[in-house]
Amino acid sequence: MDPARRLALFEQSIIPHLTAAYNLARWLTRNADDAEDLVQEAYLRAFRSFETFGGTDAKAWLLTVVRNTCFTWLKKKGGQPAVEFDEQVHSGGEESTNVETVLLNQAALGSLNDCLEALPLEFREAIVLRELEELSYKEISEIARVPVGTVMSRLARGRKRLQKCLGGAL
Amino acid sequence: MNCEIARRMTETNDPALEQHVLSCVSCIVRTNARYYEAPAGLERKIRQSLRQEISRPLPWRWMAIAASVLLMASVAWNVAMLRSRVDPRQLVASDVLSAHIRSLAGTHLLDVPSSDQHTVKPWFNGKLDFAPPVKDVEGFPLLGGRLEYFAGRPAAALIYGRRNHTINLFVWPAAATADASQTRNGFHMESWSGNGMVFWAVSDLNETELRQFVGSYRQN
Repeated sequence: MDPARRLALFEQSIIPHLTAAYNLARWLTRNADDAEDLVQEAYLRAFRSFETFGGTDAKAWLLTVVRNTCFTWLKKKGGQPAVEFDEQVHSGGEESTNVETVLLNQAALGSLNDCLEALPLEFREAIVLRELEELSYKEISEIARVPVGTVMSRLARGRKRLQKCLGGAL
Repeated sequence: MNCEIARRMTETNDPALEQHVLSCVSCIVRTNARYYEAPAGLERKIRQSLRQEISRPLPWRWMAIAASVLLMASVAWNVAMLRSRVDPRQLVASDVLSAHIRSLAGTHLLDVPSSDQHTVKPWFNGKLDFAPPVKDVEGFPLLGGRLEYFAGRPAAALIYGRRNHTINLFVWPAAATADASQTRNGFHMESWSGNGMVFWAVSDLNETELRQFVGSYRQN
């Protein structure tokens, strides 16, 4: 394909999802400067492998590239080890929900962002993709390259941790 | 579900509540978690870097081209090597033919010129770690013997004559192989094994007479 035409097509379909890309990178890296650099890098990577874009779901395709760019960087940096949770071992290990925590007030809501940042990387990824980007379980499973069951388990356990965190902030 | 209902469910210890709490967290995140907007200028930076990307062939692209050229060269070379790989027996045949022609071209045909097998045979003693069978072959007078070198080890050359033709019979120890005959550049070659040795007879003699020589030699 003619490079100019390829670029035009890429910009037309992929640039509109810049905000989603940045939001994901920002939540994964927890740092504004790193997120900006990584999004830029991810866009270059995406452009170079534009052939792999099936043409249907530009947002999920771009977020996959962003996600992989961030994970590669995080692993290389080593400061944020990508903790692979053994879903079997860890599930059910947490205490049952304290129903009082449902009564959240403004103070608790204020600490929501801190609680979300404090989540382990895989849980944070699942929650951000699900609640903020409103992707389906299937799309998340493709982006994170894990089975749908694992996505659901990560979401459930991420929410529990969030809830516990918010409850503690009361 | 609002908080009033949730409170009542708490009081009645309704098991459906936990499920609600979880989905409620989901709602809380959706409505209250921070959604980071891309910084101003990021889009411009990205568009700029994409422009650069298409305006000049970047190193990665050249590296990809170089890598594929190397790969093709390597594949071609391997295919060529595979095609040119020859049967080890053909290599031996080339050596044998070369030795035969060399012996005729120079002045060094015979180390021990003798028609007496009892002179030729002992001459090899101490020069070889095997005893080549030196035999009289009727109609093919023994002319003598010579030392040769094949496949990195010494070999015996027994020279027989037929009219004006010379037959080199090369002998050296080797694993047994099947009998074979071939013609190259007008020279006939016959090879066979026996007693832990391999024999190669080569001559410009016609094929029938060379076969006759080999047959008689092997029978004796």
